[in-house]
Amino acid sequence: MLRRLSVVVLVLFACHTSARRHENPPAQRIVSLLPSFTELLFAIGAGDRVVGRTQWCDYPPAALSIPSVGDGLPPNIEAVMARRPDLVVLYNAGPNVTAAKQLERAGIQTVLIDVNRLEDLGPATRTLGRLTGREEQAESLAIALDSLAGRPPPPATTSLAFVVWDNPPIIIGHGSYLDQLATQAGARNVFGDIAAPSAQVSLETIVARDPQWIAVLSDSAVPPAFAKRREWRAVRAVRAGHFLLLPGSLFGRPGPRSGNAIQQLRLRLNRNGVGAQHAAPLHGTPSR
Amino acid sequence: MKWTLLAIVAVLAVALSVVLGPAAVPLGELLRSDIVWNLRAPRALLAFLVGGSLGVAGAGLQALVRNPLADPFLLGLSGGAGLGAVIAIALHLSGPWALPIAAFIGALAALGLVYRLGLIGGASLDPRILLLGGVAIGAFAAAITTAIVSLADAAELRNAFLWLWGGLSGASWDSVLLVALYAPIPLVVLLAASRPLDLLALGEESAQYLGADVERVKRRVYLAASLLTAVAVAVSGVIGFVGLVVPHMARLTWGHRHRSLLPAAFLGGGALLAFADTLARTVVAPRELPVGVVTALIGVPVFAFLLKRWTIA
Repeated sequence: MLRRLSVVVLVLFACHTSARRHENPPAQRIVSLLPSFTELLFAIGAGDRVVGRTQWCDYPPAALSIPSVGDGLPPNIEAVMARRPDLVVLYNAGPNVTAAKQLERAGIQTVLIDVNRLEDLGPATRTLGRLTGREEQAESLAIALDSLAGRPPPPATTSLAFVVWDNPPIIIGHGSYLDQLATQAGARNVFGDIAAPSAQVSLETIVARDPQWIAVLSDSAVPPAFAKRREWRAVRAVRAGHFLLLPGSLFGRPGPRSGNAIQQLRLRLNRNGVGAQHAAPLHGTPSR
Repeated sequence: MKWTLLAIVAVLAVALSVVLGPAAVPLGELLRSDIVWNLRAPRALLAFLVGGSLGVAGAGLQALVRNPLADPFLLGLSGGAGLGAVIAIALHLSGPWALPIAAFIGALAALGLVYRLGLIGGASLDPRILLLGGVAIGAFAAAITTAIVSLADAAELRNAFLWLWGGLSGASWDSVLLVALYAPIPLVVLLAASRPLDLLALGEESAQYLGADVERVKRRVYLAASLLTAVAVAVSGVIGFVGLVVPHMARLTWGHRHRSLLPAAFLGGGALLAFADTLARTVVAPRELPVGVVTALIGVPVFAFLLKRWTIA
């Protein structure tokens, strides 16, 4: 933990205080080990310097032409080094800390960054801006992302539960980015009282809290298989077919498109809400 | 007297499981509540049936292999079921029952392999090889499962492990009906083998001299106990310690005669699992504990107590 912190602190320190000639020159060959970082790097105009990505990095489309180094968690050190990077950007989590140390030992600069919630996006963007010499672009994006995170949420007009897994039921709690997305889009997460990012709950708790929508991260256009299970039909939203099927690429990761994700979610909630009142239940809508 | 007491405990455990839950349902509305009818009642009954089945399967297997450590999941079935479930997810098999059916088939495949290994020394089923084969097949299936999970792309594969340890969240009247129709067959087969199982405790040769058809009994008991475990894992995942601890508890009071030991293990196992599931649903509400955690937390201290009694005796 301390050492992980010190890596970041050192980087920040170097960028903040030392004279320019002492700090590392802007990174030219970057391996990004999280889709959020890849999107941020492209958004600040450093996309052309990304030489490695994870298999999940599918946005922007230009990222797909960059060689993949695997699933990134934990990173395949040899595959990363084979890209001859001068900077590796990792998500700040257990196995990545070990990987970062190994890369540092091989003389490659690394940075571990938290991107768990909206308010992490601004600092993450600034860090990437400093490391790539794109401070100005990073600053303007960071200001926009900071204001997104600091915006007071609109009054909730509807409610939802994010279901991550059906058996046992795992839902999203207050500590998660998805909870923030819902709140900012004007929906109350019925499990907002659970502090953890996600938690196992009893099905009857979902029935009792009676969300208007069941939100699922899914690239499919049909409701998940559990919609047909008898025990799940005790949930009113499931019986009514009130599913929000949210593609993971847009909704499942914090990044420069978070504002877009909030807007899209709000649109879907409103459109489906109107549709559900007047016509047959909608099974979510395909992304535009 | 002791039967009455056990029956009261069992009924109480199921009743408690219906009355208590994370959602507040007033007592007066208990009979009209959707939550009680569609979720709690089937879940309580399923817990009772699965717990009872595991208790009986454990008692039968412990007699068969003449080893007090035998647990229904020691015979490779959980590994097979897990592999089946992961394959179903990896192949994107859809449908509400895809996972339970795939897990059941996986458990049956493991059962068949272990049974075949048990016959490796000839026509006679060797209980020691059954145990070793079960552990080996289970480990092998688990290795393939892990390989699939780490190589395949689908992020949801990691959730297959959740399902495997999932407990009773999938309970519905469908699954209750399924188990209620299926379980009596292997249960009756095991009960019918009570007398030869008593004899088996004296050793295979002695049992043979006393008139037991040892080969037939061994096969029947193994298959019946495994089929019970396979359906349990298909509807509720792996729930540890019930099949291990309950037979020992039953033996303390009912002795070693299987005609009374097996019914006692059924009622005791059912009561224990219904009670454990009530705790799992309520103690950290609105969150829920995996029921296997609760059975282990209750089971291990009881087991330690039993071990102490044995070593003193």
